[in-house]
Order: sequence, then structure tokens, then C-alpha cells
Amino acid sequence: MGLFKFSRSRSLWMMHFCTGCGAIEMPPTMTSRYDMERFGIIPMATPRQSDLLLVTGYLTVKTLKRVVRSYEQMAEPKYVIAFGSCTMRGGMYWDSYNTVKELDLYIPVDIYINGCMPRPEAIIDAFIKLRDMIDKGEANAWKNYRDNLDWYKQNQAKVFDINKWSAKI
Amino acid sequence: MSLDVEESIKQDIDLRLKDIAKCEIQRERRLKLYTGKDRVIPVLGFLKSYGFIHLAAISCVDWLDDGEFEIVYNLWSYRDKAGILVKTRISRENPEIDTAIPIYEIAETYEREIHEMFGVNFPGNPNLTSLFLEDWNGPPPMRKDFDTRKYAAEKYGMRDLTEQLKIGMDKIKGVRDGDEIL
Amino acid sequence: MRYFEYFVGPQHVGVTGNMSYHLWADGDEIKKMITSVGYLHRGFEKLMEYREWVKNVPMVPRICVPEPDVNEVLYAMGVEELSGLVPSERAQYIRVLVLEMARLSAFLFYFAGAAGALGLYTIPQWTIGDRDYILDRFEELTGGRAYHIYTTPGGVRRDLPDGFKSRVQETMNYLKKRLIDYDRLMFENAIIVKRTKGIGIIEKDYAMNMGVTGPNLRASGIKADVRKDDHYLVYDKLDFDVPVVGDGDIFSRIMQRRLEFDESIKIIEQVLEMMPDGGFIEKLPNPIEWKVPAGDVYVKLESSKGEFGYYIVSNGEEKPYRIHVRGPSYTHGIQVAQEKIVGMRIADVAPFLFSLDVCPPDIER
Repeated sequence: MGLFKFSRSRSLWMMHFCTGCGAIEMPPTMTSRYDMERFGIIPMATPRQSDLLLVTGYLTVKTLKRVVRSYEQMAEPKYVIAFGSCTMRGGMYWDSYNTVKELDLYIPVDIYINGCMPRPEAIIDAFIKLRDMIDKGEANAWKNYRDNLDWYKQNQAKVFDINKWSAKI
Repeated sequence: MSLDVEESIKQDIDLRLKDIAKCEIQRERRLKLYTGKDRVIPVLGFLKSYGFIHLAAISCVDWLDDGEFEIVYNLWSYRDKAGILVKTRISRENPEIDTAIPIYEIAETYEREIHEMFGVNFPGNPNLTSLFLEDWNGPPPMRKDFDTRKYAAEKYGMRDLTEQLKIGMDKIKGVRDGDEIL
Repeated sequence: MRYFEYFVGPQHVGVTGNMSYHLWADGDEIKKMITSVGYLHRGFEKLMEYREWVKNVPMVPRICVPEPDVNEVLYAMGVEELSGLVPSERAQYIRVLVLEMARLSAFLFYFAGAAGALGLYTIPQWTIGDRDYILDRFEELTGGRAYHIYTTPGGVRRDLPDGFKSRVQETMNYLKKRLIDYDRLMFENAIIVKRTKGIGIIEKDYAMNMGVTGPNLRASGIKADVRKDDHYLVYDKLDFDVPVVGDGDIFSRIMQRRLEFDESIKIIEQVLEMMPDGGFIEKLPNPIEWKVPAGDVYVKLESSKGEFGYYIVSNGEEKPYRIHVRGPSYTHGIQVAQEKIVGMRIADVAPFLFSLDVCPPDIER
């Protein structure tokens, strides 16, 4: 295990973006009872300074657009943890007209957490697994995004117009 | 359980809006009022001056078989402690009804949502831009003839996992012999 | 005159969830704001039309994430009214208990947000940590922390576990003790008082005309509470006050929640004492063939954010014909916030929006 990997895996900065209902279990995970800071994970306000993107639940088309943009702004290496059943196969919203069903068609995902919603223990378990994966050099989803950019862009274009970022928010 | 307040509201409404609206008592603290499309704004104006100052919501129901949309204004009176549902029907072919903004300012957002979700037009509402959806290419989604399952399957088509599932089931079969594979 | 434009959210610390604001500012003064919602629109109302009446029970709590029980109880109340079911008195008391516990946990969440927006980070550590003790009670009762799926049409899913009442009482005693600390740290804190007094005033008449409900309306000086005015369940048998602060500024909205916190603890203690014995669920028809009689009904109740309402239409089939959800944040989250923020300074935007308790999922559904 190299020094870089060791340092990276122990000071993950997490982007502060509550994309869905999973965000309700983030404050307990951050604060006094579960205290994720003991793993070196703290919330960070800007994408350019963060290493970790938490997709906390289903993504609507409108949010997916912003998530893709935020993800592309993050500096490499970067990691994605997806929360909940709804990011895997649509979960409860499998027939909704406005949510994307399989998140890894649009952005690469390192770890999925099962459940609706995942408990803080499950979230911390995912953090530890991610740490181990970084140590072993297995958390390489971001390389996947770089190598298969065309495929990802093609999938994104099916859902929203990737060339026309909306002028107003 | 007496219905004195409700009865007196009904009497007043019947007296003032005899020809243009029909009022009935649903239960304690709940009334209903049916009126025509062109009469809605005067009726709402009267009800607001009567005390129904809180517009809780505007709902829209798509009665596909009748070929009509039903617009439901949901009012509440803080003074009388009673609620009233004002209902009117408009045709599905040319869905259009005057805006309620002159009477209830908050109607703007509700009408904006109904415009987006049902395609009902509200002449007089200055802000009928999209509220929830972005890059939307389908028909108004809350209409009954819009099939969300079909639309979702076409737009967000999920990968076929039958092969992977079979591999998994084979492994399980080794453990629990005799189980049927899906 | 050209103004400086700010895009706040959805990826931002100062927004209450997943929504965004477009601000135009002249120096430090806000000239215009446009709210943008829809980041969480899942089309619940459509999805519910595709599912049987009972299958919707696990759907509805997802509509309001910080306080999900409100939706379960409302949906159950609506279906019961349509089908003529009357839950037993014990079930009604249990529902009140669940609702008030959910209100407490939502208020603790609110204090964390309101203080965090002002840059006081000790308070979130305390309140979110204490909120977990309420979630522990929920977990014991229902099996879930965030979503409980506990109330169903006809009653509640299971009875109280052994010794549950005394453990709830212990939690309440603990919270009462903690409130003394909260008062010293938060509600008498000079920073909070100076930053929030006289800012973001929503006048009485304006609030009433714009359909603002709940604690925000009472903070503006109108004594209106669905629990009293349109009483549901067993609230008419319980003894509690409706506090009214009345200034309408950010501070009074925070204080309003603080005072209502005491009342909720009072209600919970009464419920624990008065709860009768008896069954907790009525016999339901076969859920797959259950046809709710045709009709329409509007049910509402008081959530921690204001009036939550369900307009349910049935045409006598196995599935609902139409359900419209009236979220409390709909009014104060879009139009009221847009209009009242004009003239405010940029630093006050986040405290103002957090003080209104805007919850995007119930706007967008």
C-alpha cells in the first residue's frame, strides 16, 4: 500500500449534495452519535475540493443533469457511493416517468448500499469498504468513466439534452 | 354532533348564489359546491368575502370517460372553522379556465402545476412556465391516457439481467436441490 | 441597471434539501429571487393511481422525508373515511403518539438546520444526536428509523411492545432536561437573537392570504391549528395550548417551534396516561380485491411544517382514481419566499429559508 493510497483513503472529503431522501440519514451519520469524522470523512461544499460523491437516492432527470456536471467538476481520483434500492434498479419508483432507474448507466459507481433507506451503520460500512478498496487499488470507477466517456455520454443523451445546459437554473 | 354552522353557511350560500351554484353538506366541517366554468371566479369572490380566505389547494381530476377535467378549489374559513370544495368541470378538448389570481394570489403556483401536469390553460396567469419537469418530451404526465409504465420502459430501459439471474439461481440450485428455477 | 446574479443550489450547503434559487443582488441587497423546484419530482400522484389501495401504504411516507408518519396517518384517515372504517380508540391514541414523536424529531431537525444556517455548529451536533433517541423508540415500535410504514387503514400494524410507555417517558424526561441546555445555547444566544430579530418579517394578513399554515402562520400572530380547528383522531380529548409568538420574523419562527416542542411533550405524556386497552387494528377485506366505495374526501392534519392534506378520489375500483397531496411547503417555499426575500441581505438568505422550514419533497412529490 503506497503512501498516496493510504492518505487518500483516510481523508475522504464528501460532497455536500442531498440528491434524494437518503440524505435524511446523513446528518445522524455526520453528527455526534455515529460520527463519521473519525474515518476522516467530512462534508465539503464545493465539488472541486471533494473526493467522494454520495448519490443519496433516486435521481430525477433534472437532478441527474446537475449530478453529472458536479461529478465532472470533481478532481480525480474520485469515488461514488450510491444509496438505496432506487439507484440500482429503480426500486419503488421503477415505473416513474421522471426518475432514472440504473445509475451506473450515467455515472460510474464504486459501491451501492442496499435498502430503503440505508441505516447509518450501513453507510459507515460502505465507507470502510471504500477505504479498503482504495487501499487495494480497486476503486477505479473514475477510470472507467474516462475510458468509456462516449458510452456514458450516449446514455446521458437518451435522458436529457447534453449539449444544451439550461441557461436558468 | 350538530351541523348548525354548516347549515347556516349553506343557507347563506343558497341565498346569494341560488342560480349559479349548488351547495351540499358532506360531513361535519366539510361542504361541497358545484358550479359552472364561467361562474367560478364570481363564486370564489363571494366565498372569500364570506370568510373562506385560505386557499389550501387547487386539484384537478381527469375524468377520461366523461371527457372532462374537474377543477377543485379547496377553501377553508378560519372564522367558521369549515372547509368547502368548489368544483367545476371543463372540457378535455379545449381545457381552459380563468385564473383565480385576482382573488387568491397564491393560486399562481397551483395553476402553474396544473398547467404542466394536465395541460390546462389559465388565461390571465402571467407565469405558466414549467415547474417540476425539465427537458420533458411527453404529453402532460398526470393525464389518464398517459401510460407512465410504457414511457418509463422506453425512456429509461433497464438492462436485461435474466442471464445473470440464471447463473445465480444455478448456484442456489446446487444448495437447495429440487427448487424450480424462475 | 444590471444586477449580480447568484445561483444557489442544488449542490449547496445553504439550501434546505434539493432545490435551488436564482438571486439577483445589488451589492449586498437582494433585488429578486426565483425558486426552482422539481429536483425531487417522482410523480407520486401518478404512481399511486397504478397501485392497489394497500400497496400505496409504503409509498406515501416517501412524500415527506423528515416527518413521514404524517402521510401514513393522512392516507389511512382518508381511506377510512371513504370506506366507513373506524379505527379503535387505542389505535387512535397510538397514532397521536406516533405523530407527536415525529413532530418532536422534525423540530429537532429544524433546530439543527436553523442554527447551522447561522454558523453555530454545536447545536446540530446536540439536536441531531438527541433526535436519535426518538428514532430508537420508533425503531422499537415499528422496525424502521426513517420510514416506519406503521399506520395502515384500519388501525396500526402492531401493538406497543412491553414496557414501551415507560421508555418513551424516559426519553421525554431526557429531552426536558436537555431543553434547559438548548435554551442556554440556542434560544438565549446573543448571536441568534441579533442575527434574527426583525429580519424576514411575514405580516399577519399577508401570511393568511398567501395560504401560509402551521407554525409559520402562528409565528405571524394568527392562532390557527388544525389540531384544534379541524380536530382529528383524539386531539379534542387532549389538553394542550396553541402558543402564538406573533412577530413574524425569523426569531419568532424559531421560538414558535421551541414553544410547540413543550406542548408536544405534554401531549405525549397525556397520551401515555390516557391510552385505553383494546384492539389495534380492524378486520380488513382481502387487500387484493379491496374496493373502496366511490367518493371524494379531503383530509388534513397539522404537521410540523403546516397543513398537510390529501384529496382522495375513488371511483369504486381496486385502485385510487386520483390522489392530490397538499404539501405545507408549497406556499411558503415558492411564492412567499420569493416575495419576502426582496430587500434582504445575502447573509440572511439561508437563515430565512431555514426558518421557514421549506421541505422540497413535499412541494414536488
